Amino acid sequence: MKKWLETWLTRGAKSDAHARYLRRLRLTDGWVNVTRLGILALFVAVWEIGAEKGWIDPFLFSSPGRIWDLFLRMAADGGLFQDIGITVLETVIGFVLGTAAGTGLATLIWLFPFLSRVLDPYLVVLNSMPKVALGPLFIVTIGAGFGSVLAMGVAITVIITTLVIHSSFQSVDPNYLKLARALGANRRQLFCRIIFPACIPDMIAALKVNVGLAWVGVIVGEFLVSKNGLGHLIIYGFQVFNLTLVLLSLLIVAILATVMYQLVFHLEKRLLRHRQLE
Amino acid sequence: MNGSFAIELENVTKVYLSREDEVQALEPISFRIHSGEFVSLVGSSGCGKSTVLSLAAGLIRPTTGVVRIMGKDVLAPSNRVGYMLQQDCLLDWRTVKDNITLGLEFRGLKTEKTESHARFLLGELGLAHTLKQFPSQLSGGMRQRVALVRTLAVQPDILLLDEPFSAVDYQNKLYLEELLTGVLKKSKVTALLVTHDLEEALALSDRILIMGNRPGRIRRTLEVPEELRSATPLKARGKPSFRPLFNELWKEMDR
Ligand SMILES: Nc1ncnc2c1ncn2[C@@H]1O[C@H](COP(=O)(O)OP(=O)(O)OP(=O)(O)O)[C@@H](O)[C@H]1O
Ligand SMILES: [Mg+2]
Repeated sequence: MKKWLETWLTRGAKSDAHARYLRRLRLTDGWVNVTRLGILALFVAVWEIGAEKGWIDPFLFSSPGRIWDLFLRMAADGGLFQDIGITVLETVIGFVLGTAAGTGLATLIWLFPFLSRVLDPYLVVLNSMPKVALGPLFIVTIGAGFGSVLAMGVAITVIITTLVIHSSFQSVDPNYLKLARALGANRRQLFCRIIFPACIPDMIAALKVNVGLAWVGVIVGEFLVSKNGLGHLIIYGFQVFNLTLVLLSLLIVAILATVMYQLVFHLEKRLLRHRQLE
Repeated sequence: MNGSFAIELENVTKVYLSREDEVQALEPISFRIHSGEFVSLVGSSGCGKSTVLSLAAGLIRPTTGVVRIMGKDVLAPSNRVGYMLQQDCLLDWRTVKDNITLGLEFRGLKTEKTESHARFLLGELGLAHTLKQFPSQLSGGMRQRVALVRTLAVQPDILLLDEPFSAVDYQNKLYLEELLTGVLKKSKVTALLVTHDLEEALALSDRILIMGNRPGRIRRTLEVPEELRSATPLKARGKPSFRPLFNELWKEMDR
């Protein structure tokens, strides 16, 4: 066992010194992970025991056991997965559409510098406005449903994306533009072959921010529309004072949001693997 | 070619305008460069060397006067001109292969034939093995050579070089100079080189234009003697007439 651990810790070593180095590095890695899991386990255990012994009010703070039971019950009748599915769909479409529309708008105002100057103050005002306050307007115009929630996810991401991507277009190294023009590029080629690809890292950065923003938009949208989705479960659980339901929904949102962020993170690594880190 | 010059500037001035100010970068300057000639432009920082090059490349328009390339007025970047900047400006997201054909792509000249010529040039500069690599995998000197290939791939008749080798170390610079003159000799290309390295100017050129400051003008023209012209850049540096000329240039710059 000890020998096995030793070979595992020093796998891929090039020399004795390298083996010792790797061993130390991996031992630290191991301890970090053990400590992390330990904290989580301790937290769950204290919570469960605390609720059991009445140190905390299980009616307000629920308990891991209760949350797990509820999860199993709701998973069994399938309704939970429908809510999860709808929220995930709204969020994904929301941030992809928001990012795409923002990039499209940025392209449009790049094409027409006059338009960009004209629109500038409007964009600034729209950007400083809290977008979730537009919720009632969406519900009145689109109707209380999927469309309104989606509109919220898009609204919250599109303006900031437009501003960020447009400024990214404008900050492309002027030497690249000079070079491209000297090599005979027309405006279309300049944009498609130089400016757009040069800004892809910024677009992915925007995508990363938008994942988080779209969650805000969609959850608030579901609060308002309140028909289905995780946001609906949260507000419903709150109204009937079923805090177990609230906490379960929060937990699921946290996990899903992390998974989405990680997916975008991997997309970034794949797309940018050849670029130099500036 | 009806006796016209490769590059011709006639009473050209340039005033840069901005909201706050106007900067007279060039006072009327005139010069002519023969086809096949190698001319260097030297002068202190900010005297307008890059401006002259941008004018010849058609990237900016003169405020007054005329710029002609091969006898024709320059209105936009010309297909016959290759421009190499101080920075290599390689596109990080493209392989070396796709970087060197960028100009061909823009000009709609990308064919089997031109592409293989670009690859041939890459081989000439000793980089055939980097074809599928990305710029981030190359050293500074290699990147500069790739940029040179990209400039030469469009087979320009006129080369405009803006301090192309200032970012590489001395040894690489000598090596690149040899390569450049080797390629140019074969294809009879006209070259206008901006440099702050007086040795480089002397070793490479047939003629040196010394620019003065504020506003930019041509203060003196120095013909490089045949002894240096016919030697390769490396050999020219060892000729007996090299040092005295270098000192003369240096004194002229110092004034
Ligand atoms: N786009 C611009 N707008 C305003 N002024 C400019 C612009 N480009 C250059 N200038 C001014 O014109 C003058 C000449 O500039 P230029 O870049 O041609 O000099 P240079 O000889 O190439 O200098 P260096 O050796 O430092 O590259 C400078 O005074 C500079 O401040
Ligand atoms: Mg310059």
